[in-house]
Amino acid sequence: MTTLLDDLLNMEPEEIWRRNERPDADGLRDKGQIYYEDVNEGDELPKYIYKPTPTHLFRWSAAIENFHRIHYDLDFGLNHDRNPSILVHGSWKQSVVPQYLKDWTLPNGWPWKARFEHRAMLVPGDILIMWGRVTSKYEKSQMGFIELEIGMKTQDGIESMPGTATVVLPLKDGPPIPYPFVPPAD
Amino acid sequence: MTQQAPPTALTPEVQAMIGVSGDIVESWGVVDGEYMRRFTQALMDPDPRYWDDDFASSTRYGELIAPPIMVSYLASRIRPDMDDPITAAFEENPESDGIGSVARPGELPPVPTDLVRVLNAGNEIEVYAYPSIGDTIFFQNSYSDIRERLGRDGTPFLIITRETRYWNQDDVTLCITRASTIRR
Repeated sequence: MTTLLDDLLNMEPEEIWRRNERPDADGLRDKGQIYYEDVNEGDELPKYIYKPTPTHLFRWSAAIENFHRIHYDLDFGLNHDRNPSILVHGSWKQSVVPQYLKDWTLPNGWPWKARFEHRAMLVPGDILIMWGRVTSKYEKSQMGFIELEIGMKTQDGIESMPGTATVVLPLKDGPPIPYPFVPPAD
Repeated sequence: MTQQAPPTALTPEVQAMIGVSGDIVESWGVVDGEYMRRFTQALMDPDPRYWDDDFASSTRYGELIAPPIMVSYLASRIRPDMDDPITAAFEENPESDGIGSVARPGELPPVPTDLVRVLNAGNEIEVYAYPSIGDTIFFQNSYSDIRERLGRDGTPFLIITRETRYWNQDDVTLCITRASTIRR
């Protein structure tokens, strides 16, 4: 049972961190399937908690070869762009989204699509909460479609990435989700 | 007295950009395990489907997979056979922001508008298949949508959506990304 988002936001930062539900490798290896029938409107997904440091930001810049100085050069960020610090990458946040949806739909569901906006500047020291909530569900072409509200909030409840997503879960007595994924015709 | 409508930002020249595509680009290099190790560790995604051959072979995919969005970064790597934009950026301006201005392969022509202020309006990703180790990645940019909106003061602005499709050597679409920007 995941900690509810509203409850998390009433906790002290270190308590939020202790509620991190990001799975480790074994958790992802052994994860059982969530079926369409298991999900109800209003259900919340597990909360992934992050505490980005300058080292995390530097590692992401290096991994994707993004050399924009606002992400690793504090002097440049403060004095040239007048930012409050070096900034967490929007590209990292938007890469967490498909990871988050993948993890929830594993092993045989499909993290189909997501859309989101970048709204707040995030900096080292922030505690970030990746969250999701079921807004509706429907069956189509013998697949279970789940509509989600998603986002990444700070410990202060500031929503930095409001968005929506659609994932596909198998029906308990349904066929496998096609792979590569083929969305049903409208 | 009649009030004059503000001039439209969605001129015929701007509208003509909808559907304009860039060149199809074959990315330099292939999807490789070392690039993926760095990417997934930086993402903090420890999924064994990315690195444990034995486990991956037991999944429905039958092999190691890669995060689909990873190809969008892999495809934007600086090719060794092009001018180095980082070196050029600091030669032009020692206080460069680190991005530079050298055009990358597959870039779209600019939208002909006098609106110069650019704001991020949102992103989308659609996922269709996981890349495999050894895949060659192709991509193509296009302007999938340009629409006009009015600001609170009645001044028109544009929302420009750039779509990029990524596919592999077997013409399997891996993912589609869309990035929308506001031009004021």
